[in-house]
Amino acid sequence: MTTLPARRSGETTIRVVFVLTFLVTAFLIVTPLASLLYGSFQTGGPGAPSTFTLKNWGDLASRALVHTLFMTCFISVVTSVFSTAGGAAMAWLVYRSDFRYKRSLVAAVGLSFFFPGFILGMAWVILGSPGGVFNDILEHLFGPDVIRFDIYSATGIIWIQVLHILPFAFFTIRGPLISMDSSLEEAAYASGATPWQVVCRVTVPLMIFPVMSSLLLCFVLSVEQFAIPAMVGIPGHVHTLATELYLLTSFSPTNTGLAAAVGLSMSAVTGLSIFAQRRIVHRRMAPTVTGRGYRVRELSLGRWRWVATAACVFYVLMSFIIPALSLIYTSAIKFFVANPFEAAWTFRNYVQLWDNPGTLRAFWNTVLVAGGGAVLGLTLGVLVAYSTHRLKPRGHRALDILACLPFGIPGIVIGLGFLWSYVYLPIYGTLWVLVFCYVARFLPYATETVGAQVVQLDRALEEAAWASGANRIASFRRIVLPLLRPALQSGYFLLFIAYFREIAAAALLYTASTQVLSISIWAFFENANWGVASALSVITTIITVALMGAVMRAPLKL
Amino acid sequence: MGISVRNLVKRFGDKTIIDGISLDIADGELVSLLGPSGCGKTTTLRCIAGLETPEEGRIEIDGEVVFDSASGIMVEPYNRSIGMVFQSYAIWPHLTVFENVAFPLRVRRRPNAEVEQKVVRALEMVGLGAFRDRSSQQLSGGQQQRVAVARAIVHAPAVLLFDEPLSNLDAKLRDRTRAELRKLQRDLHVATVYVTHDQAEALSLSDRILVMSEGRILQQGTPEDIYHAPTDSFVADVVGAANFLAVEFRGQGLDGIRAVTRDGAPVRASTGSVPPGPGTIMIRPDKLRLEPAGPSQENRLPGTIRQRLFLGGHFEYLVEVGADTVRVISVVLMQEGAPVLVAFDAVDCVALAGAGAAVS
Repeated sequence: MTTLPARRSGETTIRVVFVLTFLVTAFLIVTPLASLLYGSFQTGGPGAPSTFTLKNWGDLASRALVHTLFMTCFISVVTSVFSTAGGAAMAWLVYRSDFRYKRSLVAAVGLSFFFPGFILGMAWVILGSPGGVFNDILEHLFGPDVIRFDIYSATGIIWIQVLHILPFAFFTIRGPLISMDSSLEEAAYASGATPWQVVCRVTVPLMIFPVMSSLLLCFVLSVEQFAIPAMVGIPGHVHTLATELYLLTSFSPTNTGLAAAVGLSMSAVTGLSIFAQRRIVHRRMAPTVTGRGYRVRELSLGRWRWVATAACVFYVLMSFIIPALSLIYTSAIKFFVANPFEAAWTFRNYVQLWDNPGTLRAFWNTVLVAGGGAVLGLTLGVLVAYSTHRLKPRGHRALDILACLPFGIPGIVIGLGFLWSYVYLPIYGTLWVLVFCYVARFLPYATETVGAQVVQLDRALEEAAWASGANRIASFRRIVLPLLRPALQSGYFLLFIAYFREIAAAALLYTASTQVLSISIWAFFENANWGVASALSVITTIITVALMGAVMRAPLKL
Repeated sequence: MGISVRNLVKRFGDKTIIDGISLDIADGELVSLLGPSGCGKTTTLRCIAGLETPEEGRIEIDGEVVFDSASGIMVEPYNRSIGMVFQSYAIWPHLTVFENVAFPLRVRRRPNAEVEQKVVRALEMVGLGAFRDRSSQQLSGGQQQRVAVARAIVHAPAVLLFDEPLSNLDAKLRDRTRAELRKLQRDLHVATVYVTHDQAEALSLSDRILVMSEGRILQQGTPEDIYHAPTDSFVADVVGAANFLAVEFRGQGLDGIRAVTRDGAPVRASTGSVPPGPGTIMIRPDKLRLEPAGPSQENRLPGTIRQRLFLGGHFEYLVEVGADTVRVISVVLMQEGAPVLVAFDAVDCVALAGAGAAVS
């Protein structure tokens, strides 16, 4: 008897959806990378006459670039060590000790998490530059040139990046810490271990994989950082790969071929780190337990409580409150002076924003790109996550890898890739390029958020719909989508905020008519128009924080 | 018409989960698939539902071919006339009780009046008439199970499929729901497949039991047949507590099969037929009696009480009989360590070929 493969009508639907999803994803992600690879072997820039060359890859070995590579790695390693140490310490304070202000600390760290990096960087330039607030105070206290604080340095970059990335480490480590089976620690207490012995012999060893994973992710975030090193490093002649790539692309004499080679090398560094991080995550992180409500025993801090409180207050002041105040201050005065008593107060910066058609246009563009783009990004994310976690047709692994790739590709590199590939497409110079670029860059955000919930969705819920007579599309629409709603909501806001404040990719892709808010702020700032830049930053921050509030309050649980 | 399955084969990778199963279920008949986890019973059910695509075979539901490997037919689950109750119930948390039950009618685009009338009827049949507007998340496990049943029967499917529907309920509720399910299925008079690993469920609910192991059907028959006359020590063990005595069969007599234990004690069994040679005799624990120590006779074996457990209405003893240990249910109080005679009647002994499982 010959056996024919059975035909299922439902499988045709799945095949069509999957193939379309795969093609769109591949187009979005492979095209820019392939064009970068092509571009790195070309003498001319995108759209220009050009021939094959190996010179770009040879130039990578120049003294200046090797120095930049080492500087990038140095800055990133230090940043990631300090961020992870600080984030882990705070997570431990909140979830394992009797620290008093747990809720406030989590809220404050959350606030810092959503404070856009380029705005934080700008605030710290206002605070820490040679003519800035801190140096003015130091001068008044100790006289001129006794102690000076120079933000335009590698230390300055590290300082701002640690402030910016620490919340990320906190949130990465707190998950495994919360879900760690607390009976493991209780068993150690029951065996006669003192609190400190429990920390050193049980908690820390069990948390080693999450901490390593956080170190690698913070390293990648730091390598990817564009706005902070650009604002602080370029004036101070401290270059990272990201700012080098930007300078090579945006200032003459441009050398986009070399920029492509730099971008690919950068992606190699971040990609390998992400690969290592994934390997760590795939090992069992720590024994976890679900659905147990026992309170973890809290370790008494004793007299160290004051040190812990002071350190946390210091962090919150430095990462959010003082920068935010300095921006509000700068936005409300006519000319920048460090001493508020000498300042001439005004609303004109805000009025100027309103009167400036360019800014209004940037605002409208941002709403379109973030609000509308996030719908497209989320839709693709849902299709990818549902294909790779539930349908699993042939080729789903390839799609999974494809969708994860942007994790390891810095924003500025993707931006350069789009610059290179979309020059040949009719949508070049329109907002669509930004939208496509953001959809590609932040695709993992969407797939991870939605995927986590798809995995948790009991397969029987969908099978019950089929058994009840609903076909694949009807059951997806009436059962799966409503049940995914919490993930769809948080995914949408996550994408919205990410698109809203993205600057690295936009810095390479924007044109006069496609300017977005982040670029406007930066442009005002670069033109030494600190007042308007600050006013716009204040508005942007308020929108971001308000949206974050909406995410946190949205009925995430069904 | 009911269900007809022929030579069903299902593999996952290299592993054969179902190894050529055939079965027929008549209208109104309730057939249990009984076996330990991994025996292929749930996979068989899912193949009938269309949730798995088998490699080979043919499945008919209500006279319609829904799967046939020879002609490449595979009807999607949503185009089969089935109602299914899942082990996890799979109640949709975003829909009310009413909308959960109404779903099969809604996707078939039935008019509102008909939906209303049929859902109310289905909810009343499972005793949830007052719950129609509840959120499905406010339901207890037992209520969720009833909603799942109502949803499975509301559109009057040709067959009902139950996948361990009672395994998530506590013991008391399980007993009550079992009786209700039996009545419901009788009233509806549809062909029903009931997957379970619980022998009490299978024995009490079924018209017919199919005992499965490693993707094959070992034995099928009425609950009484399977319980009293298993043809295999595995089947004997699956459908109830069983003692196995290793014996050497001597031959068939008029009054049953004669055998001797490893200690040489004579035993006679009147059920089963096996050739002479080594084999096993199966006796249920409640068919063994404990008598004061005395000389060994036919079907009276000397032993020593190793353990006594008080279980309320009776005692459970572990008694060492020669090289075997047997479990005895008895109301008689005896001391641990005491010598006894373990007595039984030939009609309660089942002769089986091959070695039996040890009492754990």
